[in-house]
Amino acid sequence: MVLKDVLSKEKKSAFMLGNEAIVRGALEADVKVVAFYPGAPTSEVLDTFSEALGSFDYQMEIATNEKVALEVCAGAAFAGIRSLTAMKSVGTNVASDTLFVLGYTGVRGGLVIVMADDPHAHSSQSEQDGRFFAPNTYIPMLEPSSPQEAKDMVKKAFEVSERHRVPVIIRTVTRVNHQSGIVQLDELSRSEFTKVKWKELNEEYTTLGSVARQKKLRMLERTAKIAEEFDRSEFNFTKQADSDVGVITSSVSYLHVLESLKMLKLQNEVNILKLGTTYPLPKKTIENFIRNLKKVIVVEELSPYLEKELFEIAKNANPNLKIFGKKSGSFSEAWEYNPDIVAKGIALAMDLKYAGHETIVEEASRLKEGIPDRIPTFCAGCPHRGTFVALNQALKIQVAKGQEHYFSNDIGCYSMWIFPPISRGDSSLCMGASVGVANGLSHVIEERVVAVVGDSTFFHASIPALVNAVHNGNKFMLIVLDNSVTAMTGQQFNPSTEFIAGGRQGKKISIENICRAIGVEFLEIVDSYDVKSNVEVFRKALDYDGLAVVVSRRECALYGDRNKRRRGEKIVPFYVDKKVCKRPYVCLRTFYCPAYELDEDRQPRISPELCDGCSVCARLCPLQSVKRTEVKA
Amino acid sequence: MSLNILICGVGGQGLVLLTTVIGNACAKSDLKVVTGEMYGLSQRSGAVSVHLRIGEDAFSPLIPYGKADILLSLEAIETLRYIEYLKKDGVVLMNKRIMHPPIETSKLITDKRSKYINLEDIVAKLKGWTQNIAVVDALELAKKSGNVRTENSVFLGCLSALEVFGVDEKAIRESISEAVPKKTIEQNLKAFGLGKQSAHDSLCTLVPCRPLP
Repeated sequence: MVLKDVLSKEKKSAFMLGNEAIVRGALEADVKVVAFYPGAPTSEVLDTFSEALGSFDYQMEIATNEKVALEVCAGAAFAGIRSLTAMKSVGTNVASDTLFVLGYTGVRGGLVIVMADDPHAHSSQSEQDGRFFAPNTYIPMLEPSSPQEAKDMVKKAFEVSERHRVPVIIRTVTRVNHQSGIVQLDELSRSEFTKVKWKELNEEYTTLGSVARQKKLRMLERTAKIAEEFDRSEFNFTKQADSDVGVITSSVSYLHVLESLKMLKLQNEVNILKLGTTYPLPKKTIENFIRNLKKVIVVEELSPYLEKELFEIAKNANPNLKIFGKKSGSFSEAWEYNPDIVAKGIALAMDLKYAGHETIVEEASRLKEGIPDRIPTFCAGCPHRGTFVALNQALKIQVAKGQEHYFSNDIGCYSMWIFPPISRGDSSLCMGASVGVANGLSHVIEERVVAVVGDSTFFHASIPALVNAVHNGNKFMLIVLDNSVTAMTGQQFNPSTEFIAGGRQGKKISIENICRAIGVEFLEIVDSYDVKSNVEVFRKALDYDGLAVVVSRRECALYGDRNKRRRGEKIVPFYVDKKVCKRPYVCLRTFYCPAYELDEDRQPRISPELCDGCSVCARLCPLQSVKRTEVKA
Repeated sequence: MSLNILICGVGGQGLVLLTTVIGNACAKSDLKVVTGEMYGLSQRSGAVSVHLRIGEDAFSPLIPYGKADILLSLEAIETLRYIEYLKKDGVVLMNKRIMHPPIETSKLITDKRSKYINLEDIVAKLKGWTQNIAVVDALELAKKSGNVRTENSVFLGCLSALEVFGVDEKAIRESISEAVPKKTIEQNLKAFGLGKQSAHDSLCTLVPCRPLP
């Protein structure tokens, strides 16, 4: 990331990540309040705003969850102040209670909500298509295909939001957020941050019963007006060709379409309508585009959102139009698209002979036979590895005594205990759900339920479920893996950190105090690195006839490294003393650290450049053969 | 014409910074560039890849299968994972370094006969796809520059030797100087020079390079 370009006063072109372009657009639009909960693929929006905080005058919060983040922004927008939040697809589910009402109440200041879907579920639990939030909430939606468009649309979204007094969704996909490209920077002139007088604004934002019914009518009128406006929007454009075939597309699929037409040697041979305003849809623009065509191919990832609308529009505008898309079988509702998938679909719709990519992929897969997988794993020095090693040992003892278990997983780095070598996890749903489902399971299964949750997820969505467990006397074991930051998305601060956005001092909130306050009776706090003594704690918690909470605490290794570097401390790696090691492989069998490999004598070797110096493997070695490298004073 | 480079490696190797250096150099040289970046689930030690495309007619952030001109891999095993993207006569520019994933090591301790995949195995497999394979001992060259953490500058040097790599060398050097910590600029530029020099000993016997001054 090059922060310099995001902050530049100069009008120039810069190489930017989609997420950075979103920040730049918001800064150019003079945004005054931003709030986020981190989530891939939007986390760099938060990170960039946090880094830029020292240079500009805006309020920023890393909120406890997406709903709170949206409400922070809504509060500002109610008072006429421009605000922006960004969330991953499933974060919108958390925020949606508020989102639906904001459609009714509207806002005064521009409120922009960046919502990032994740086709392929690269870093999410589902491939949900968030576009349906827009028609469902009557909130307008813009869809960029590139960083440049992302920046332009964010700026325009603030104008649309204020003109129509409604929040605006910028809907992205992973390949837009994590796409870099050249972005033309516009002027960056920031106004001074000042408070406003609420009473002078003469606003109200209530809705209930008859008020809601009245506001619904206004919401419908508003949507019709925006639809008219979107019919004149520069974000919808056509590329004309001398052909009776057309492609309708949006988002990053537009770029795949351009690429695939090049691959099919059909550049400038097919009409294209690229839609940027996808709710409300620019119906007249679409009608004009399809009127004289025989065939239209709809290229969009995930659900047939545009395709269904096109069937409706074509009924009047061109009843004989042949529509190809997911319903015709040319494209699938599954997968993230790429140029090859799009080329194949277009070729299929146009009855063209096209070899496709199966042969080349198959040939490559033969060459790949036998190469080792590189599955996601805990970093060297990760405290979770220590927690799970101790838990595993405790479980072994319990299993020998006849106790069986159910493992309730949650969202965070610790989710990766479902991967080898631990491979545990009977269920894994969404933020905070490990604790929620543990309640229900404890009523109906004979096994002891073991739930895990991280610090950030604890604050985000699991407290109500824990309160529920105490209140109803539900019996299970919960491990809170507290590593001080929201690690998986890039070590952002959360209520378990003493810092807030921009690295300013904040108030750290104690997880154990919350547990005590709600009446958790079995509560233990352990150091995740202290594997040997933690085995007994976990064993007692597994045996306890009630709700047992163990807080396993140690800061995230990557966050810790950053702090060490800041303090000028060296990371001192460990090494295996070849003379002492008799190869019992305890380190490898139980610990599974990526810093370990075998040397030519099949003796464990620690890569000094990967070792974090956490010392846990040294504590586990029965022969004490793992030693700290001596550092010259 | 566009130039497509698939960059791959292991989380923590600095792919994002490497991409930023090239991207910024493109911005300085008025070249159109687009990338698609995939960081993976884990913060470290997972598979990471970047599709980097330079040129007016590179539209999608993803390189179509079989259309990458160069497969630049910072870790040898990872090269094979993305081989379907490389043209059949494309260039593999590959680090000598192998980082064995824990899952591979665990197989070795349970099965006494099993062995690690090695550089020769990887090169043999790659030869089923292309003959243009250059293996770079980036760590050794980085050490020579005085800083082991300059491997990616070594690779930037290698790339800059290639005729097809149309990004101005001066812009790359400037871009490196802006992206790395101030006190390591000199070492990184030295690593860049060593990389370029090393390309002339290996890579340039396979594919056209710009002559050394």
